[in-house]
Amino acid sequence: MKATGKNNLESILRACRLILRMSQGTADMSPSRNLYYNMLIKYFSRLLHAKENEDFIAAHTVFFPAELIYAMGLVPMHTETTTWMTALFTGECSDILAAGASLGMASEICTPHRGLAGAFAIGALPRPNVMLWSNMVCDNTAKSGELVMELCDCPGFFIDRPFKDSNYEVNYLVSELQDLVRFLEDKSGKKMDWDKLSETVARMDRQIELVRQVNELRKNVPTPFRAQGFTELLTIDYLFPGQPEAIEYLETLLAELSETVKKGEGAVARERFRIMSLFIPPMYLMAFLEKMSQEYGAVSVIEPFFTFWGEGRLDPAHPLESVAKKSYMIPEMRMYRPLDQPALDAIVDCAKQYKIDGAIFYADVGCRHSCATIKLFKDALNRIDIPMLTLDCDVVDPTITSEEEFREKLERFFELLEDR
Amino acid sequence: MNAAGLDIGSLTTKLVILDGDSTTASVVIPSGEEAEATAREALAQAKGTEFKDSLYFVSTGIGGKTVSFAQQQKSITTCLARGISRLFPSARMLIDIGAESITIVKLNERGRVSDWLGHDKCAAGTGIFLQQMAKLMQMPLEEMAKISLNAKSSAEISSTCAVFAESEVISHVHRDPPTPREDIVAGIYSSLVSRVMALAKRVGIEKDVAVSGGVGLNIGLVAMLEKELGFKVLVPEQPQLVAALGAAVIAGENLGR
Repeated sequence: MKATGKNNLESILRACRLILRMSQGTADMSPSRNLYYNMLIKYFSRLLHAKENEDFIAAHTVFFPAELIYAMGLVPMHTETTTWMTALFTGECSDILAAGASLGMASEICTPHRGLAGAFAIGALPRPNVMLWSNMVCDNTAKSGELVMELCDCPGFFIDRPFKDSNYEVNYLVSELQDLVRFLEDKSGKKMDWDKLSETVARMDRQIELVRQVNELRKNVPTPFRAQGFTELLTIDYLFPGQPEAIEYLETLLAELSETVKKGEGAVARERFRIMSLFIPPMYLMAFLEKMSQEYGAVSVIEPFFTFWGEGRLDPAHPLESVAKKSYMIPEMRMYRPLDQPALDAIVDCAKQYKIDGAIFYADVGCRHSCATIKLFKDALNRIDIPMLTLDCDVVDPTITSEEEFREKLERFFELLEDR
Repeated sequence: MNAAGLDIGSLTTKLVILDGDSTTASVVIPSGEEAEATAREALAQAKGTEFKDSLYFVSTGIGGKTVSFAQQQKSITTCLARGISRLFPSARMLIDIGAESITIVKLNERGRVSDWLGHDKCAAGTGIFLQQMAKLMQMPLEEMAKISLNAKSSAEISSTCAVFAESEVISHVHRDPPTPREDIVAGIYSSLVSRVMALAKRVGIEKDVAVSGGVGLNIGLVAMLEKELGFKVLVPEQPQLVAALGAAVIAGENLGR
């Protein structure tokens, strides 16, 4: 397949810089948001210039322990987030999805993975030096790495993470991580900086704690955090695990939210509906969803599978064990494992703690795992008299559901909530 | 001032005017290219009946937002719930089969929407699908409904795609010997009912169940639905007017405030 000359990283960077420039000095650009966009610029600039700086790019799928990549001084490339960011900042991904289709990828395959393969095929993303992936999340993720290795002609490493978290299984995962370190040292020629890894783990522990504190503040009525702001928390978690910038962003955000709560103010002018968000909204509709939230006073106050961390602390004295342990604390892992009663209890508990009025499930049509859970979640919430709206969509492909369809269904749902 | 409800659907536009609790006018006309013009035409047709000069309008349906003289716009689910509760206070579930969509509305004891589910990605299982099938069978919808009651068995028709269903019907017609017409019609209805049942089960079937939309007038289809459900359903005299009635009820509530 021919390279198109288009560079997705340049598009993302251009959009971030434009947002910063246009919003400078406006009320919308809080110090934390300013930091957020600058962090994105830093992340994608580093990636864009990695080749000319002779840096080693380690591409990795979601939930892969990027702490290790950072601690070795390598340049991470979070594959799914890079596709989302293209959709978020350019509004469409048709070229990379079409390129994915040309590779023979069926339309049922998750678009972030299809788009990613397409992006590599047409040279819209730099070729990584290694591809790292795991069986965390789904079968698309488990197979995506092999395809990227083939497309980019690079070596790769797969982490086999057991579903359960008994001592035996966590020890097995630690041994997998040890193998990963050896692989990265061999391929990059760099040594693991164990002190740096310990520092990273210590910061990751702090990072999780800060997200928990942010969530505590979000329990307030009205809630202080922006309606769709949780996607920022998600991005920070995915792109900057245990990084100083993440701590700075979260501390700044926490201070802002505390101030908002002190003033008795909310994220929207008049909070009417407190929403639980389940799964990921379409990235290309984020601006529209934010506008709808303002218009109807509907704010996402909790996302049990994205920002609600499991219990536990990380121990910098045992960095690999902590990284292994973290993989079982990740909020998404409640959903992406054999779904059990504790996962359902968690959403019911969240619904009560955060005083939600309704839940919205963004049913990404390409995600077999999450869509299989819809009925279970709906029934669990209905039992405590919380209605749930299911919105069929795709996280990056705008041809699945239009803005108008979204508006129509959301308006119906808000009317339902109002009528209650 | 009277309360008026306008339901601008993809095939027909419905108008209901209330005076207190009683209906003083109801109109059903084909939807034109412009919703506003069709709404005004419906209003003009209602002029012959007695109602006060000034009206408080609530509009709904696919073209509801484009009616400039409507004081308020409400979603179709809210209007369906309010309309059916006015007619049948005991209804806890409404199956609305419109020209281009199937909507299942679950109602609470106050007659408000507690949940809903729509099917709007394919014409299979909608009023337009039935019209297409009637054309194919070369008989009016009313006749189809009647002969379906005499079916001895039900022909196998796809329930997943309107286009595939059409080719299946053609193959039944041209089979040697051809599949009896009543069995083909029963198969068509069965494919529609299976779609409705799948949606209804997802929301949770709860008695009493009412049916609205123009398809509610189809006696054969309603009979098949009742057979599948295992109990009788409630069907208003004019099932196509339920959403417009609901809109008028909301208009009346707003007037009373």
